[in-house]
Amino acid sequence: MSRLYNISSSPHVRSRLTTGEIMYKVILCLLPAAAVGVWRHGLHALLIIAAAVAAAMLTEFAFERATGRPDTLKDGSAAVTGLLLALCLPAGVPLYVPVVGSVFAILFVKCFFGGLGHNFMNPALAGRCFLLISFSGIVANYTSDGFSSATPLADLAAGNPVNALDAFLGLSNGVIGSSALALLAGGVILWLLGGITLEIPAATLLSFCLFVGLFGEQGFDSGTLFLHLSAGGIVMGAFFMATDPVTSPVTSGGQILYGILIGLLGGMFRVFGSSADSVSYAIIIANMFTPLIDEISVPVPFGCRKQKDPSAKRSLIPVSAVILCVITLIAGVCLSGVYEMTKDIIAEQQLAAKIASYKEVCPDAEEFASDAGMDAAIAALDGEVYGVDFGRSYINEAVVGTDASGNTAGYVISVTSRDAYDGSLTLSVGVSADGTVSGIAFTELNETAGMGMLCGEDAFKDQFKGVNVERFTLNKAGGSSADDEIDSVSGASTTSGAVVNAVNAALDFCAANVK
Amino acid sequence: MYKKTFHGGAHPQGGKQLARDIPFRTWLPKQDLVFHLNQHIGKPAKPVVQKGDAVLAGQVIAEADGFVSANVVCSCSGRVKAVEKRRNVLGTTDLSIVVENDGQYTLADGIGEETDYTALSGKEILDRIKAAGIVGLGGAGFPTHVKLAPKKPEEIRYVIANGAECEPYICCDDQLMRTFPEEIVGGMKVMLSLFPAAEGVILIEENKPEAIAAMERACSGEPNIRVHRVKAKYPQGSERSVMSVVAGKHIRLGMLPADVGCVVDNVATVRAVYRTVCKSEPLMERGFTVSGDGVETPCNLMVKIGTCFEEMLEAAGGFKGGEEPEKLLCGGPMMGFAMADLEAAVCKNNNALTVLRKDPVAEAHRQMTSCLRCGRCNQACPLGLTPQMMSVAAQRGDYERYEKKLYGLECVACGTCTFVCPAKRPLMQLFKQTKAEIMAAKRK
Repeated sequence: MSRLYNISSSPHVRSRLTTGEIMYKVILCLLPAAAVGVWRHGLHALLIIAAAVAAAMLTEFAFERATGRPDTLKDGSAAVTGLLLALCLPAGVPLYVPVVGSVFAILFVKCFFGGLGHNFMNPALAGRCFLLISFSGIVANYTSDGFSSATPLADLAAGNPVNALDAFLGLSNGVIGSSALALLAGGVILWLLGGITLEIPAATLLSFCLFVGLFGEQGFDSGTLFLHLSAGGIVMGAFFMATDPVTSPVTSGGQILYGILIGLLGGMFRVFGSSADSVSYAIIIANMFTPLIDEISVPVPFGCRKQKDPSAKRSLIPVSAVILCVITLIAGVCLSGVYEMTKDIIAEQQLAAKIASYKEVCPDAEEFASDAGMDAAIAALDGEVYGVDFGRSYINEAVVGTDASGNTAGYVISVTSRDAYDGSLTLSVGVSADGTVSGIAFTELNETAGMGMLCGEDAFKDQFKGVNVERFTLNKAGGSSADDEIDSVSGASTTSGAVVNAVNAALDFCAANVK
Repeated sequence: MYKKTFHGGAHPQGGKQLARDIPFRTWLPKQDLVFHLNQHIGKPAKPVVQKGDAVLAGQVIAEADGFVSANVVCSCSGRVKAVEKRRNVLGTTDLSIVVENDGQYTLADGIGEETDYTALSGKEILDRIKAAGIVGLGGAGFPTHVKLAPKKPEEIRYVIANGAECEPYICCDDQLMRTFPEEIVGGMKVMLSLFPAAEGVILIEENKPEAIAAMERACSGEPNIRVHRVKAKYPQGSERSVMSVVAGKHIRLGMLPADVGCVVDNVATVRAVYRTVCKSEPLMERGFTVSGDGVETPCNLMVKIGTCFEEMLEAAGGFKGGEEPEKLLCGGPMMGFAMADLEAAVCKNNNALTVLRKDPVAEAHRQMTSCLRCGRCNQACPLGLTPQMMSVAAQRGDYERYEKKLYGLECVACGTCTFVCPAKRPLMQLFKQTKAEIMAAKRK
């Protein structure tokens, strides 16, 4: 024997399946959904897919080059991430959106945690959720043929008629990969090819249906369930996202538990929360439970009795986690107790603050009382926006102020405008019997300090005082001389405009309801 | 309906078609014969011959040393050339007796005498088996006379002849069942005579229809013996899988098969029991497969124990096309040992030489990626262990968790997890090493 042969530990044969092969199978099975998306939404959808995949692969390549790690591009996992991300985006987004999403997914979620096999949540979903939060206006905008319109789930929530079959086929508004039929077909093929096992998709879909059936408004109505399954990415989530091996439990039992968790969370977010992104959030939350599920689902092997080892038992129940839960529970109970105790005091203080603001804007009045006519008018509004010229202004309350001798001294209208820069602002407007503004005061103002907050200063508020006009107008340039023109606070025209609209709404309401 | 299979497992591509239909050919050794004294589980045998002694075929040349040990019997006649350390299949060295073969195969006295086993007592049968040096021929090499003498023989419910042969390439047991079905049934009857309450079961995988037919014919007149077909799946032949399908019984930690009412022996062992008890012939030869994509003519051989592996290759016509292969295995590719050369001699428990042109392990090493946590290993483990979690614990050095929570020491090193792993991680190697380290720490 002239030479020595290779030595190694058994086994000396390996199955043909490789990591790369699993990833390419996933890509293959996503192609039908991608094809339907491109056919439905046109070339731009294809560009989005290409941009996402290319960005994902380039990011991984660049990171590995920069850090001197082995090149893992050929295992295909980066391409899968890019493709999945693209299929979760609306077809109308500008091309930088998929690129930013892919870079975030690969760099922050995957590479920084150690690359393939070490990320703690699904990179594609993390990328999508990042985009949803950072570019909410763009990513939640489902444009179709140039018109921005609602998704089937939004229509369902609004009570509009929905074509469930269209949603199933992927013809409704939605993301590029919204064809439940193509995804389902792809998922089943992936299962037949041995790419996934059925535990997770089955547990997810069944528990999701159960939850929606039990707690949804329509119950177990087959048409509604069909729509819920067809829209909102539950099929995509169950077959392609939740089954990501890296972020799902490793044992059969654990996978079923994990699937149930996703189904229940997804159903809960769908029924009680924002419907469009329920599945994404359900899956990434379940991803974070994966280590815990792994820990409690270690099976007792064939022919073994559970070992009566105290340390094994201790590690079986995550004691520290239970203690944490108990502490949180106690803290929660304490907090709610404090709230209960102080709630009346807080309410009194709020009432006092309100009365003080009424006094401030209607200084002649001694007492305030409600007026049947104005109350009826407010009730008739039913919480809707007041008028058409005042933006999103809402009338909260209107009272009549009387002076010491019992004569009407003026009226106070509480108005909320939702057009403020940072949500809403609420103010009280005092109007004297002849229609002159006797003053305004804010009861809610949460604007940017030094800009919007300046609206709360007297310099701005006093512009309204003692003026008797039908409408005020906003002068963004400043330096106005006319009575009905209000100088905008510099750099805060949005807030100023909201205030002017609110005051105009109050005046209009007063003019209409005071006889 | 009997159970067809166990939970988990894998389907390594057989390669059995290479030699499965080729009948046994007797190969007579040309070189010196080497008898390793450590051919079994337990203490090595003690030599009872010295350099220069003349020996006959069938003569005991080394005796069992202690309770779990076995005799070694010379398989040729000639002269003892040396008692020295020789290389074994594991690559280490064992004390061995080297016999210069005179080519006559002169038998020792009394060999070949027909005996009626029903006239023998249980003790006499066991003594014959012990004297013949029979050990488990399937691979483990556990002394058979120890296995057949459990503390409570009346509690044994099943005597199982294991003809599953789930290793790829190997088919000598298949041929044995096709060629000597009566002898296997005969051995089974001898064994059943030791266990009054037991039923005889011959377990065969479905991919051996000829063997099933032959065995069914042979045991048709025996009310107490049946053939049990099982699915072809690796590792069907492991002791636990066999018992799980036949008796539905599981071995618990630290238990022997006898504790759950089973005796499991390879079909080749059962035949050796027959030859020894009924024909007074000790264990001198065995069925042997030479196969793989790297040999010229894959074949099944009847070989003398002690023949050099190099001759096994010669018997199969050498390397295919004269091309050097990358890997030589003693045994099959799933549980066999890789050999650096062909210097070692065939032991009682070696059943095959497998020659692979390409080394799949080297290829796998090139394809290795991080663990995907896909869980295929967990699903494939026939014992229901969690190789994925075990590998994490082992790499972290958390042996407490490895042993107590993950039952890592239960691993039987079947290699199924490593076979199925798409990331091509060397799990088995890690587990063997971890087990060795834990056991070493315990002995301290």
